[in-house]
Amino acid sequence: MNDTTATASPPLLLTEHARAHHRVAWIATVDHKRIGILYMLTALFFFVVGGVEALFIRLQLAVPNNTLLAPDTYNQLFTMHGTTMIFLVAMPMLFGLANYFVPLQIGARDMAFPRLNAFAFWLVPLGGILLHFSVLAGGAPAVGWFAYAPLSETPYASQPGVNYWALALLVLGIGSVSASINLIVTVLTARAPHMTLRRLPLFSWMFFVNSFLVILALPVLNAGLAMLLIDRLLDTHFFLPAGGGSAILWQHIFWAFGHPEVYIVAIPAFAILSEIIPVFSRKPIFGYEFVAGSTVAIALLSLLVWAHHMFTVGLGHTVDLFFVASSLLIAIPTGVKVLAWSATMLGGRLRLETPMLFCVAALVQFLVAGLTGVTHAVAALDWQTKNSYYLVAHFHFVFVGLIVFAILGALHYWFPKMSGRMLSERIGKWTFWLMVIGFNMTFVIQHFLGFAGMPRRVYTYPDLPGWGWMNMVSTVGAFFMAAAALLLVWNLAHAFRRGPVAGDNPWKAWTLEWATTSPPPHENFDALPPIRSRRPLWDEANPDRPEPVVGGDDATSPVAEKSKAGVIAFIASEAGFFGVLILAFLFFNATPQAGPGPKQLDLFKTGMFSLCLFASSFTLWRSEVSLRNAKHRAMKGWLAATIVLGGIFVVGQGLEYWGLFASGVTVSTNLFATTFFTLTGFHGLHVCVGLIALLIVLGLALAGDFEKRKSSALGAVGLYWHFVDVVWVFVLTAVYIFPLLK
Amino acid sequence: MTTSEFLHTAWSWNPLLLAACAAALAGYWFAFRRTGRIGYFVAALGVVLLALVSPIHALADGYLFSAHMVQHILLLLVAPALALLSLPATFSPGKMPRVFVHPLAGWLAGVGAMWVWHAPALCNAAAVSGPVAALQSVSLLVLGAVFWWQVLAPRDDQRLAPFTAILYLFTACVACSALGIILTFSPVRVCSVFMHPVDRLGIMGTIRGGWGMTPERDQQIGGLLMWVPMCSIYAAAILSQFARWHATPALPEKTP
Repeated sequence: MNDTTATASPPLLLTEHARAHHRVAWIATVDHKRIGILYMLTALFFFVVGGVEALFIRLQLAVPNNTLLAPDTYNQLFTMHGTTMIFLVAMPMLFGLANYFVPLQIGARDMAFPRLNAFAFWLVPLGGILLHFSVLAGGAPAVGWFAYAPLSETPYASQPGVNYWALALLVLGIGSVSASINLIVTVLTARAPHMTLRRLPLFSWMFFVNSFLVILALPVLNAGLAMLLIDRLLDTHFFLPAGGGSAILWQHIFWAFGHPEVYIVAIPAFAILSEIIPVFSRKPIFGYEFVAGSTVAIALLSLLVWAHHMFTVGLGHTVDLFFVASSLLIAIPTGVKVLAWSATMLGGRLRLETPMLFCVAALVQFLVAGLTGVTHAVAALDWQTKNSYYLVAHFHFVFVGLIVFAILGALHYWFPKMSGRMLSERIGKWTFWLMVIGFNMTFVIQHFLGFAGMPRRVYTYPDLPGWGWMNMVSTVGAFFMAAAALLLVWNLAHAFRRGPVAGDNPWKAWTLEWATTSPPPHENFDALPPIRSRRPLWDEANPDRPEPVVGGDDATSPVAEKSKAGVIAFIASEAGFFGVLILAFLFFNATPQAGPGPKQLDLFKTGMFSLCLFASSFTLWRSEVSLRNAKHRAMKGWLAATIVLGGIFVVGQGLEYWGLFASGVTVSTNLFATTFFTLTGFHGLHVCVGLIALLIVLGLALAGDFEKRKSSALGAVGLYWHFVDVVWVFVLTAVYIFPLLK
Repeated sequence: MTTSEFLHTAWSWNPLLLAACAAALAGYWFAFRRTGRIGYFVAALGVVLLALVSPIHALADGYLFSAHMVQHILLLLVAPALALLSLPATFSPGKMPRVFVHPLAGWLAGVGAMWVWHAPALCNAAAVSGPVAALQSVSLLVLGAVFWWQVLAPRDDQRLAPFTAILYLFTACVACSALGIILTFSPVRVCSVFMHPVDRLGIMGTIRGGWGMTPERDQQIGGLLMWVPMCSIYAAAILSQFARWHATPALPEKTP
């Protein structure tokens, strides 16, 4: 069969094998540019899904006492809209942009870990499918994107929708952390010679800083989701007050992630503005160091202010006051940014093309969002407006006014680079004006709806004076935005096939992605221009008046090793995960629980097994030393000893569990048992993963891999193993030793 | 005793402390009069006096956990930092044991001073016993100086590189926040002494009634102080490291 087709068809340039390869090329790709486009297309697809959900929400709210949607259907659409827009639109779109342009801007050939990159991307569709599968499995989640406990617990949401929601977010969270680890390591290790960290374009710098925020914040959510799933599937009571749990704890965990998350999607928008505004003002950015530094300040502060989402929960005046103060502080670095962008435009030769229009609009809308944000930072005012449409208007000004507008600006700006063709400027302007008018119609009026007292999270409302027409205006505005979205898709599709050819640098921009062809070749660059400043293409075009040289940096410092840097970033995120579990253990066991408690545990036995685990760190260190001294036999011996010691620890843990089960203590017995099994169980899981990794390294060693070439596998896995042992020091102290002191 | 009476009278003019401060100032004047930055040193002494002489000390002395926390922060994080900033670049500590200038030792000094002194037994002892309190104050100043040495040592080559310093400060911030969070939300009182103070000054009525300081709120404020303002100090230090990194003078570019 194959033979006949091969002989019948004319001779081809590509072999059958190569053609088969090209058919799956987009699925099997590890090229950062293709993965970036896959991210963006996925985000665009879910943008349409989430947008249609929003339109249904607005149609239901268009008139008072509407019956278009049933209450439960409304709640499902409302939950799916929020979750989709954050996790399946904003995050993938931003990772897509980062994937495509950070390696280009730093003059790299690809991301540091191309396969990890593909893995991180494919988790997005998997998460999307898991989330939407809930519709077939008894109904989508209807608990809001925040899934407040106890509403999200089995007694109040018995359908499996919330399980799918939590699983999807776990999957997406792991993908985001993977992508961010990859970005950090790429920026640290894959920069072109002379592209020092101080010469990074602001876009790359901000994504670099942002990635740290992702690896610190997402694991907190993952820990909370794990607890929620354990509650729902194993019948425990982390967040159920009825069983001694704490519903407030869920809010703390969710917002400890949720507030940084706002900045995780906002900092990339800042990054886009910082890139486009200077190019279209024909000036370098005003105050590069201040824009870069204020990003660091925002990232730090965002970890410190989550309780301002909980002013109305009743934490007390004392707690509120501290978080009012820290929240107000954020206005300073964001103000610095707004001033820097405005000063960049001041006195520049402004070119108001579509990318710039979107960025200017984003700047103006963000100013409004920031000002209403300051009003929310004041607890007394927040109590009045928190549960009204004023808050809905505020965060849509952030998410749409700033982030979506910036993303649209970025698409119009970089589409020529990605496709080699220009978008239609005329359609772009139509898109822009429809979007601006529609957005402001939809959301400006919601501020006033909030002042008029309309509560948020309601599926319909009574016909009170003013509410009806204001909601109608809002709904009509939403359809303007939908029309803008359709125009955008049409513009993209049309330009992709017929747009005028863009050339390498259609905007006369200055960063390295414009130094290669559009679209860039597989290897990105044939040759790089000299890099002495932050605008290498300006220097090349204006040799008589180049930018001041930026130097005095880590140009000479040793570049971190790729695999070790990756494992260290991974360890940082794991530390956050275990930190939350340990804090939860301490919180629930501060006062003795009824039923089984720490007294049931046998410190002596566990201490013995712990010694084995700690000894395994020593043997692994000896193994690393042996490898460094090229003593391969000793290295394998020490490595095998490590695996045996780790195995003994796992068996010891298993025996302890067996003893507890035998005496009738299971994960759902009481909160001590729940937190004990969760914390030690997750640690044990990590030990097992570490053992598998060590076994793989041992296999490589036995195959003679370490004798043939210099490999960093042992060092990288070793770091992880030592980390797992250090976590056990904390677990042992918190679970076994600390209760004895009381 | 009313609040204003308390603020007027509750100054603990400890002669030993005042003599020590005067001696320190005199010593500084003789050693670094020309080269040092005496403004910083005077500020450091002012902070020490604020912590140990002003009514903050009277409150920390068995009445309020939150006042104790203010004292703790001033002595550990503010005064030693100012003192190090006052030193001239030519200053050399002489032969220091290597262990004091190792970054890990610095980190453990800064974080350990927070965690260890808040172990219930030590916290209670420091609140009721004069000698333990004195030992605590001195140890905080010393440990604070060991911690800040890595970041604020007089000469650039004695300090950590900017990015390492950022990691050093950030992890210290996380470790202290964790304790602050535990103190804020813990359902048990960490320093039980502050539950039922011995009312030597006759101000308990004012504290509990006038200021509304219940033991629960008192510990909560203590925890929050450690969590939010303390972390802001570390955050400010991180930003200063960022500024230091950007201020490094340009190196001549090597032509390839």
